[in-house]
Amino acid sequence: MQPDAGVLVAALALPFVAALLVPALFRVLGQKVAFFAALVAAGSFGLLATQYGAQGAVQLPWVPSLGVTLTLYVDGLALLIGFLASGVGVLVFTYSYGYMAHEHGHVKYYATLLAFMGSMLGVAFAADLLALFVFWELTSVTSFLLIGHHQREAASQYAARKSMLITVAGGLFMLAGFLVLAFAAGDTAAGRTFVLVGTGESLIANGDAVREALRASGLFVPALALVAAGAVTKSAQAPFHVWLPNAMEAPTPVSAFLHSATMVKAGVYLVGRFRPLFVPDLPAVPEWTFLLATVGLVSMTITAILAVGATDIKELLAYSTASHLGLIIAGYGLAGAEALELGAETGAFHILNHAVFKATLFLVAGIVAHEAHTRKLSELGGLRRDLPVVAGITAIAALGMAGVPPFNGFWSKELLFETTYVVAKANGGLFWLYPAVAVFGSVFTFLYSVRFLMLFFGDRPAALGDTDIHRPPLSMLAPPALLAGIAIVTSLVPQVAIDIIVQSATEASLPVGLEPHALKLSIPKLFSFTPYLGMSLLTVALGAVTYPFYDQLHAGVRRAREVPVTSPNWYYDTLTAGANPVSRRLAIAVHGGAFRTYAAPFLLGTSVLALAGYAATDAVPVDGIGAVPSAPLVFVLGVAVVGALAVARAPSHIAGVLMLSILGFMVAIVYILANAPDLALTQLLIETLVLVLFLLVLDKLPAYYGEIRTRSRAVADAALASLVGFTVFTTVLVATSASPDDPIYEFLLARAGVPAEHGPFFADHGGGSNVVNVILVDFRAFDTLGEITVVAMAALAVLTLVGMRARTEAGANEAAERAPAPDGGRPDAVVEAADASGASDAGADHDATDAEGGDAR
Amino acid sequence: MSDREPTVIAKTVTRMVVPIIAVTAVALLVQGHNLPGGGFIAGVLTATAFVLLYVIYGLDTVRRTLVLRSEGYGFLSGPTESYARAFAGGLAIAVTAGIAAVAFGVPFLTQGVVFVEDIPLYGELEYASALAFDLGVYFVVVGSLLTIIAVVGKE
Repeated sequence: MQPDAGVLVAALALPFVAALLVPALFRVLGQKVAFFAALVAAGSFGLLATQYGAQGAVQLPWVPSLGVTLTLYVDGLALLIGFLASGVGVLVFTYSYGYMAHEHGHVKYYATLLAFMGSMLGVAFAADLLALFVFWELTSVTSFLLIGHHQREAASQYAARKSMLITVAGGLFMLAGFLVLAFAAGDTAAGRTFVLVGTGESLIANGDAVREALRASGLFVPALALVAAGAVTKSAQAPFHVWLPNAMEAPTPVSAFLHSATMVKAGVYLVGRFRPLFVPDLPAVPEWTFLLATVGLVSMTITAILAVGATDIKELLAYSTASHLGLIIAGYGLAGAEALELGAETGAFHILNHAVFKATLFLVAGIVAHEAHTRKLSELGGLRRDLPVVAGITAIAALGMAGVPPFNGFWSKELLFETTYVVAKANGGLFWLYPAVAVFGSVFTFLYSVRFLMLFFGDRPAALGDTDIHRPPLSMLAPPALLAGIAIVTSLVPQVAIDIIVQSATEASLPVGLEPHALKLSIPKLFSFTPYLGMSLLTVALGAVTYPFYDQLHAGVRRAREVPVTSPNWYYDTLTAGANPVSRRLAIAVHGGAFRTYAAPFLLGTSVLALAGYAATDAVPVDGIGAVPSAPLVFVLGVAVVGALAVARAPSHIAGVLMLSILGFMVAIVYILANAPDLALTQLLIETLVLVLFLLVLDKLPAYYGEIRTRSRAVADAALASLVGFTVFTTVLVATSASPDDPIYEFLLARAGVPAEHGPFFADHGGGSNVVNVILVDFRAFDTLGEITVVAMAALAVLTLVGMRARTEAGANEAAERAPAPDGGRPDAVVEAADASGASDAGADHDATDAEGGDAR
Repeated sequence: MSDREPTVIAKTVTRMVVPIIAVTAVALLVQGHNLPGGGFIAGVLTATAFVLLYVIYGLDTVRRTLVLRSEGYGFLSGPTESYARAFAGGLAIAVTAGIAAVAFGVPFLTQGVVFVEDIPLYGELEYASALAFDLGVYFVVVGSLLTIIAVVGKE
């Protein structure tokens, strides 16, 4: 079945449109806007459900003139992510109604969460790399806002910044990887393309050719590493897992949504989506496996150990999320002839299972925190008497997370064990580390899962005291209950989930042309012993034996976390804190407030670049130099030169400005001599206005006029001024000597006037005899529109800058008496600025506004 | 400048010259399609007329006699508000002139020319839709320049 473009676009656009409506609806509905949002999520879910079973790409023109199209692609994997985002979205919005009742910022919360959901759907369905990148970064930006929901709290700010820095930085690496891929594809028969999947010319459809081109240019491993960098930062893999625990500052429904079903799933989705591109259908173990399976398994183990060291229930869940994402990435990462399908099955199935049990547990954590008013593990326990239903839900989800047979997490973890086992068996040697590490990490998974479950069992700790713990409202209880129901079904009859979505999602991660076999899982399989079932049982047994020593382990992990050298957090904090003084010093260096520091490098750079460009292209003509201009022109230019010299020798600002205007008026006369009345008129008027403007602001400048204090500075200034003059001279030569074969002025002259024969109305000719004006308002009207917009912006900027300054300085009148420059008020900045104004006329304008800026009446 | 009154000669000349400048500016605007001129030049010329008034008569006289709306908020008070309205309105006119073309089913900012016959005195009259766009340019230039001069001048 071919997907329907209209339905897809509607499903993607719906959350964004709804996000725009939230502010208005909040006035009408109040907090019930949560149900509106849930309805929107349900709408997207329903629209996507109509596409169930579809496979293929739809293309919508985006920037047709550049050949850029928006390609959307539907297959099992995209639908799986789409269903998770919108389905869990419905539950999270419903839950938010109860959870957010006493919080602030509902409009921001619901609008951002909706936009986030839309971005996530975009990530799932975008088939071309550019659209994928845009949606990818949109999820980063919206999650920044969501994590920093409590925007006044330092911890929230820190957390939001951290997640933003890490995920966006990773996204930029990914973008570089995308570009490498697109350019590599340019060497293949199919040509350069940004379309990843779905069309005949797409990267994946030509996977063999693209891989060959990448290898030929030695870019295979770099491209793989760049794309993987995006995935592992987004999915919080070691050592980039550090943002995830901090992100728990977000309201719990956000954590449940972003860190179980969506945001972090974008990374593993990317891995699953790119798998057919990077993994050839060969018996050898590819680079893909060495990189991703290793990163995945190591992350899974490290973060599982860190979860044991967690003291806060959400922190525990955060580390556990990073750990399970490691499992998924390891699954997708394992490849080679034996593991090609098993690995994809592991990844796809665990995406589903993890989303189900982890969303449940986050929602449970929210209930616990909401009702018991603490999230400290040590202060919680024995809650089953107060929250019996929640305890039941938690048991289902936590046992699934632990991988205890036959709960849902067990089935996909069993697949991971099987995959690592067959890879190790086929390759031997060090590959046995894969199953060993998988089991070792899973023991810790079992430990922290049981620890989470013990919130509800055992005795109530003294810290909880007689706190009266209420039952949660229905809107908070129903969503986790529904998810637990799904978990139960998946546990008892895994084949249902496989048939519905997992099988088709698996096929998306297999190389093109591979005939997939059907995955069959059922409870009776548990009674025939296999090595991997043995691994599962070993995990549970080891976990059960170790659990009594949980507190010692917990303390040990906490001690180990304190060692700075092995802690990525220490590196992050040192780097960001270390960057602060550097950027401060850099800001002072490049933004010193003195006009000279801005003008000199800018002018020097522009001149050098322009001259280098001319030199490189041999653009400089020599034949026009000998021509002799007419006598009037020589006279006018002579006066202009005298005026220019007088500017440099002027004893005061006023004299300088007046001399400068001599120069300007002479230029106007040059225009008259050159038969350009429009230009001459404009030049005359502008010159007059600028003169008045200068005189107005000069009134406020200090009388002190710049003195060149050292000889070396004089030499440097003269050299720079000569260089600028030479550059302008060369530019004029180059620009006027160009003689294209088909000059545009012929077209302009032919089309500007009234045609010889015409009807009462026509639009193909300008109909004016003033070609300059016709160009301005007709042929190049779009440029003019841009220019007048700039003029209006400048006026607006002057208005607001001066106006705002008047407001801020209203309270500091005494300080204003000393007339400091607005940027830092260093007196020498004014002197420097005045000094520089002698050298260039633009300088006078700039520092005039600078210096008078501080002077308020 | 402010502690000395301008001479009577200056005041009288200004009084006579400013209307002439204004009319010239309008002429430049209207004839711009066929003769030297156009919205930009006309706008700058209009601005110089105002600047002349400012220099000779001072800010307060201009505010009292020329500008109708003098209320406004904070730094937007006085003539500045009218100027800000002028450039905002001008931008709106220019954009509307562009969008009007889209309404006729041609690309954004396409300009057309209409010849209207049988007009008393004139006979045939050419009207270019570009004039509407030029009018927008005119108001943006006048409004922006005067805003800048008024704000800077007030300091």
